[in-house]
Amino acid sequence: MSIWLDIKYALRLLFNAPKFTAMTLGVLIGGLSISLFTFSFLYTSIYKPLPIPEGETAKALAVFEDGKYRYIRSFEYQAIKDNVASFAEFGVYDTGDMRINIKESGKSYYGSYVRAGFFEFSRIKPILGRTISENDTLVGAPAVAVISYEVWQSEYQGNENILTRSIKVDGINTDIIGVMPKDYRFPNMSKVWLPLLNSVLLESPQHSEYLYGYARLKAGVNIKDAEQELTQKINQIYQRNVKLFDLPKVEKHVKLLTFQMAQTGNDGAVAFAGLMTISFLILLLACINVGNLLLARSIERQKETAIRAALGAKTARLVSQLLWEGVIIASVGGLLSVLLVGAALDYTEVAIHSWLPGGGSFWWHYGMDGATLLMAVVFTLITILLSAFFPAWRSAHQDINSTLRDGTRGAQSKKAGRVSRILVTTQVFLVALLMLIGSITAFISHKFINLEMGDDYSNVMTARFSVPEKKYPEPQQQIALMQSLIAKLEQHPNLVGVINHNWIGASKVMLEGHEYLSEEDKLLIDVASLIGDSATVGVNLVAGRQFTHLDKSGNRKTAIISQSMAKRYWPGESPLEKSFTVNINDIDERVFIVGVVTNRMNASAMFGSRDSADEIYLSGLQFFDPYQILLYKTLPNTQQPEEIFYQAMFAIDRSIELTYSVQGASENRNKMRESMGLMSEITFGTGFFSLLLAMVGIYGLTANSVAQRTHEVGIRRAVGASDRDILRMFLKQGGKQLIIGLSLALLIFALISFGFHKFTEGIFPVYIYFSQALTVVFGLTVVVMLAIYLPSKKAVIMEPSMALRYE
Amino acid sequence: MKALLKLNDVSKTFLTEDIETKAINDISLEINKGEYVALSGQSGCGKSTLLSLLGLLDSPTAGQYWLADNDISSLSRNQRAEIRSKEIGFVFQSFNLISDLTVLENVMLPLTYQSGLSKAVIENRAKVVLEKVEMGHRKNHFPSQLSGGQQQRVAVARALVNEPKIILADEPTGNLDSKNAESVLQLFEQLHREGATICMVTHDPASAKRASRCLEMFDGRLIKDSINSTIKNNAVSTLEVAAG
Repeated sequence: MSIWLDIKYALRLLFNAPKFTAMTLGVLIGGLSISLFTFSFLYTSIYKPLPIPEGETAKALAVFEDGKYRYIRSFEYQAIKDNVASFAEFGVYDTGDMRINIKESGKSYYGSYVRAGFFEFSRIKPILGRTISENDTLVGAPAVAVISYEVWQSEYQGNENILTRSIKVDGINTDIIGVMPKDYRFPNMSKVWLPLLNSVLLESPQHSEYLYGYARLKAGVNIKDAEQELTQKINQIYQRNVKLFDLPKVEKHVKLLTFQMAQTGNDGAVAFAGLMTISFLILLLACINVGNLLLARSIERQKETAIRAALGAKTARLVSQLLWEGVIIASVGGLLSVLLVGAALDYTEVAIHSWLPGGGSFWWHYGMDGATLLMAVVFTLITILLSAFFPAWRSAHQDINSTLRDGTRGAQSKKAGRVSRILVTTQVFLVALLMLIGSITAFISHKFINLEMGDDYSNVMTARFSVPEKKYPEPQQQIALMQSLIAKLEQHPNLVGVINHNWIGASKVMLEGHEYLSEEDKLLIDVASLIGDSATVGVNLVAGRQFTHLDKSGNRKTAIISQSMAKRYWPGESPLEKSFTVNINDIDERVFIVGVVTNRMNASAMFGSRDSADEIYLSGLQFFDPYQILLYKTLPNTQQPEEIFYQAMFAIDRSIELTYSVQGASENRNKMRESMGLMSEITFGTGFFSLLLAMVGIYGLTANSVAQRTHEVGIRRAVGASDRDILRMFLKQGGKQLIIGLSLALLIFALISFGFHKFTEGIFPVYIYFSQALTVVFGLTVVVMLAIYLPSKKAVIMEPSMALRYE
Repeated sequence: MKALLKLNDVSKTFLTEDIETKAINDISLEINKGEYVALSGQSGCGKSTLLSLLGLLDSPTAGQYWLADNDISSLSRNQRAEIRSKEIGFVFQSFNLISDLTVLENVMLPLTYQSGLSKAVIENRAKVVLEKVEMGHRKNHFPSQLSGGQQQRVAVARALVNEPKIILADEPTGNLDSKNAESVLQLFEQLHREGATICMVTHDPASAKRASRCLEMFDGRLIKDSINSTIKNNAVSTLEVAAG
């Protein structure tokens, strides 16, 4: 009965104060929703059991080479696959882009090359036909493919006779032998599965490939033991081949991860912890604010509580009576947050699947689930504890006598004042820290979004591929292949231009006639290799000439430089025919300048102006890399421009390994800009919400503190304090808390920035950190001072005679 | 003799939820320098409101108010604050000391709102008045560590520290036991003898009798003004009581 009375009373109080209720709910829903959404998103992305039968026991292999994340090599797998005692199942697969010919054109799909046992590992059977068997992986076996339900439906309209069909995969006639069930994309986002041939496993160690490994432990074996066994076996095999095949000397260490964690390169835990910390900070801020608002309410009712206690109410009853208001707000807030987060997750699900061409990893199914609901309950309970229980407990344990005698002034207000000051300081600290970190993120995003690259990628397509070195071991053979491919592409009537372009990276440069006493004195300039006319991508010739077929191996080595470099090192004179030395693959190469082109944005100039760093282009016929990027420009409105490359590639050599689907050159850049834009929006949103929280919180805290001190204000006014004196008093007190909170946040930010600066090798100039810190300090100071000024002004307006009577 | 303080047809009306309450009704009054005036009357008759108006804690709805020949009826909030800090001292029934400040800091407070005084001067003057009210030995204590009588002595010291033209006391003995009440009244008498002008609100007839002049209020009006001939006054009264 008494509980019902308390609930009824709490509800009445909430209905009687709609502004308070709305503000408290708003703050709470914001904080809870951000935390809950972050948790659900990260949990689904990283920690949720894999959505296949026995998914929780499926492990992915990570082989660290001297600490660097790598995979198992094919020869290592071949040597140990049958004698790992810890594993019940053990296999490897590879992934790649697969081109399926449909009628006259084709379509690229992300797929996997798998061995027998792969589908059994995923515990899912095909809905049509069979999966890949041992015989399919034999060299010379007929080419077969398993396709996904989505490919079956979209490309073959769910044709029941699909198993009798033969299609062309990467230009090879292939029989479809099976169709997997809907949404099956194991191991990640595959839609086509081809056999991983025995020949791949039988490659010699120097030509062996890195493959993805998967395993299930035998019953009773723990992960540590399995990792140890595999580490030992792989190291044994590898070390045995180091001398024999001149392999790099590395120490290997195996870890068994979940598929989700493996996808993040084992960094998922760090990202999860980082993002969850930030979202918890926001929840903490929300709790502080709600707690404070409830505390203010409980202080308002302190006399009432004291009277109840004096009439015989026990502490538990008093706590319960005071608690209900907070419990109701937190519960309603929790419920509304669940609904809001549910909608946001549904939207995310749709957005991600439409944004990512392959629909993303198969376990990325975002939506309200048991874990998120459980976490909503946990978060709500934490909120109740932090924001409702403590104020109620505190109020119920007041000094009844002093409250009845002096009202809410005296010792009680002193304690409340201290709590309020600590809360304001904590609030300032948390918000400042969030904003400082957010401002750097926003700065990076802003820079990327607005980057002027100095090139023109309109109607330009990119093909990234590697030349099969086994088939073309000599550089001259590789160059010949590339030239054939370029020549084939140029035959297409819609082709405007084609270049082969590859960033080599920053290289040491020594100018002719200059002395360089140490390595540090040498210039560090970004170098790229180039075949073809750079004007294809909008990098136009300013002086001299472009590379020609004569800039080839055996002839004088040539270079084209950027305008900025010409201006910097040969001011007032022509750099043409001048020479310099550039270090490529540890060899100092003397090159002669034959051309000057317009400036481009490069990695070294990323956060400066375009001419702040220089570019050197070397002839691709003289400096060749087996990993290549081909850029080709087509006429506007060319239909299926990617088909131009596939046709040329299949005509020249279908064994060229594409590392990505052929796509618009600006697509990657646009995607990066979009993701940066999204990150920027999230950062701004979070920053704005925290600032709003701070504003509301500090306003509430100050209003509370001012209300507590109204009587004191009356006394001060009575003895002669002017309006300005009173305002100064509150602002000075707020200022102290602002300085303490900001100082602590700046200290931590300085440590984080120092670490970040070191880690990124000074990618941002140091003044950026200072300017961001200054902006945040200024912005937050204005907001905090405003939040203190507004309620203080209210207190000042009251006549002293009224203030002296204020209870 | 010119009046230190003069009210002319002063009224104060309070408006609460459309209900108009006239707390002070056309009062005219003069108080001379050196007078010890007791203002008495039934509860709710407007004594404290009148004291608030005299102390510039509130502004009248109508009428004029002169303090030391200056018309202060229409001064701004800050001008009134300046006069309070320099020319008026307050003693309240509930002492009204600031709990977070020490005794010395409480006494120093009015002087901190005056410009041009160094901290040393302020502290020194505060110590002198604390010695005067025999509270110098408790200067570093907080109000909560003092008895009611001691707190009121500190409040009196605070009222004296700015050497005000007038001390306004609102039921200064209302929260004290008889012994402490007597001690405070004796302190007022001593101050009066030394030339201070005091206006004290009290509902205790015995306390009122100890003043040199007694004013009685009823329903927002002054209804009686009498001189206590047994007490030597430091000034000549030129009292005028408004007729209704």
